[in-house]
Amino acid sequence: MPATESICTNFKLLAHHELDGFGGMGEGMAVQVAKDGRRIIWLAHESAPKNFTAVDVSDPRNPKMVVQTDLPQSFMRSNSLELTGDILAVAYQTQKVGQKPAGFELFDISVPENPKSIAFVDCSGPHSRGVHQLWFCDGEYVHMGAGAPDFEPTHPLDDQFYRCFDVRNPSKPVEAGRWWLPGTRKGDNTPPPARHQAPIFDRGNRAHNTNVYPQKPDRLYLAYIDAGMFIMDISDKANPKPIARWDNSPPYTGFTHTLVPLFERNLLIMTDESTMDEAKDWPKLIWVLDGRDESNPVPIATCPLPPHETFANRGGRFGAHNVFENTPGPHSWFSDQVIVGTFFNGGLRAYDISNPYQPKETAVFVPEAPRGSPAGAIQLNDVFIDERAIVYTVDRFSGGLYILEMDF
Amino acid sequence: MWSPEGGHKARPYTGRAPGMSTLDLFPSREAGLFGRRQKRTRGTRIPVYVVTGFLGSGKTTLVREFLKTPEGANTAVVINEFGAVGIDDALVRAATDEKTVLLGNGCVCCNTRSDLQVALRSLVADRERGAIPHFRRIVIETSGLADPGPILQTFASDRALGGEFHVEAAVTLVDAVSAQDTLEWSVEARKQIILADRLVITKTDLAPAPKVELLKDRLADLNPHASIETAVNGVIDPRLLFADRDEGAGTEDRNAFVAEAAHSDGIRSFVWTESAPISWEVFSRAMETLTALRGPDLLRAKGFLNVAGCAGPVIVQVAQHLMHTPVELQTWPGGERGTRVVFITRNIPEQAVRDLFAAVRALVPQDVSGR
Repeated sequence: MPATESICTNFKLLAHHELDGFGGMGEGMAVQVAKDGRRIIWLAHESAPKNFTAVDVSDPRNPKMVVQTDLPQSFMRSNSLELTGDILAVAYQTQKVGQKPAGFELFDISVPENPKSIAFVDCSGPHSRGVHQLWFCDGEYVHMGAGAPDFEPTHPLDDQFYRCFDVRNPSKPVEAGRWWLPGTRKGDNTPPPARHQAPIFDRGNRAHNTNVYPQKPDRLYLAYIDAGMFIMDISDKANPKPIARWDNSPPYTGFTHTLVPLFERNLLIMTDESTMDEAKDWPKLIWVLDGRDESNPVPIATCPLPPHETFANRGGRFGAHNVFENTPGPHSWFSDQVIVGTFFNGGLRAYDISNPYQPKETAVFVPEAPRGSPAGAIQLNDVFIDERAIVYTVDRFSGGLYILEMDF
Repeated sequence: MWSPEGGHKARPYTGRAPGMSTLDLFPSREAGLFGRRQKRTRGTRIPVYVVTGFLGSGKTTLVREFLKTPEGANTAVVINEFGAVGIDDALVRAATDEKTVLLGNGCVCCNTRSDLQVALRSLVADRERGAIPHFRRIVIETSGLADPGPILQTFASDRALGGEFHVEAAVTLVDAVSAQDTLEWSVEARKQIILADRLVITKTDLAPAPKVELLKDRLADLNPHASIETAVNGVIDPRLLFADRDEGAGTEDRNAFVAEAAHSDGIRSFVWTESAPISWEVFSRAMETLTALRGPDLLRAKGFLNVAGCAGPVIVQVAQHLMHTPVELQTWPGGERGTRVVFITRNIPEQAVRDLFAAVRALVPQDVSGR
């Protein structure tokens, strides 16, 4: 199926905004309702030169840019952001260890046109590339996958781990705790962990998504790339402890990206990330796990994908990346029956998991290749759904923002 | 707990009793008695339109004209000659060439004489691997001599096609010039009309206006529930035929079975309406009994129920002995709650059905949860 063709089944496309030519977007998406009542979606860019962009989506059919900011250095990327109320947290990662600035920054976005820096936390160091991903939904703590100035990994790919910062005084963030996979820090008593097959499938043992939910604030749902996933006890934030671990690799090819608990249903949704063009690391999947025994999550299903040959050579990556994470907050959708995920050139797909043993694909959106995309095809990177059930999804390279309505 | 040295330390098994559903194992406040509430009856299944009509009624012309319109884009057409061999005959599995042909406007067409299930599943498989355009609906054009009953039945069971496909409408074309004569002698022609959701009178430009009006009256008599439209030279507003059905049309005559039509074949239709909620157990037990005793004579029963304990209407469809999986919708059309089910039966009196429901109701304790 050529990349010029598109599919739109059980979604309705409301609008598409190319973000003034800077449509390469990362994995940071969050909605604010400003004091004047405007609904603004804040989006992190995948790479320099742009940092983040805010779009007024009060009328989802007529999105309007509000502000677009720049990164100070070309070797930086933000890629991740979250907000609580009028405070925005943005991650900064560098291309190489030792580069600066690297860390995270808090902004006052009460005047969306004029974000004001409240604090910058330096996470740079001789073995650190800063912060890759962060989670900030309660206004109190920022949870992240990050490096640190005092952390030397046993392997260069294992340079980011779980860190937690107390930002109850947002102008003076203080580290509250950290945890790394034993054996990944020089000086650990535990031997370094076994590695996936280098060079192609060794992506590193690093913290990726670090999700905490108000339903169980003493639990961290931690994705750890090639080390699988962990459920952590963070009742003592200074000393996080693992409760459970599940790793699908080998035989799969690693890169655990996100872990989302569905508390009332005792289910867990886990995603892999596809990181190679032409689906060379296929299959990269969304997994459904039985979480009734918190210490022993059991995989029971995966969300079905179209055949490998349909999308593998369409251009760029094909496979799972992220899902809508039921992000806590008043302007966020919630569902434990429907999973919505992004699959790069496989587009955006929704699944009915009312029977979690048999997820059913219910909706598909695969837009045509965006203008100027080096991949030659859409590469939908992330998705956010607001409490109006309006769906926002972004392209990794040039397509910008797509706004849809669920029609199922 | 997990540890790097010891891995997982097992906890004692606390198994549950057998026979529990997945909703019992993994409950959800979002789900109703019948799972996730849907926006529409078909949920996310592929909509199917069955186009039938007697020989020469203009089926092919109508479908061809539809495919040229913007609304007709991304349609897969299946020319199905299966029905030509009758309801109960064995399938004729000819070694015919059943290629899928690409048409314009994102449409495809395939011709099948053998298994409709194989044809539809092949279309979906070809679509998923990108071999054909991503169609959004299927139009099945039947043979002129077809009884649409078996085709509709094929979609009633999840094990057959009902899990992936949903018959949005059965559309029957009626030739304004010859229909009155045909209806006198052809049982199949009458059946095509009785089972239709939408009736289209064709060739109205070739018949005098009074004849067309008489035909409309005859069609309304045979099938009081179907919409009746007219086409000229095969042209008709496609939205009248190939759009999602209005689930909430017609909620008159509450608290009554309404006998509406009786025919010389013993085929009759009536509507059961009721304002008060009904227990799902009452409805399902009554229908089990009805289908077990008189399945072949229960040609079609469909409509929506006001089930006790459900927030939205529950859509039910029965084709002879097969009941479609019930679907609960998110909202009541027009905001009005009330049961309305149309029965099309052969030699089953309306009073017998009414008595059956009353008898079951008397035996089953009324449970407001609906469980």
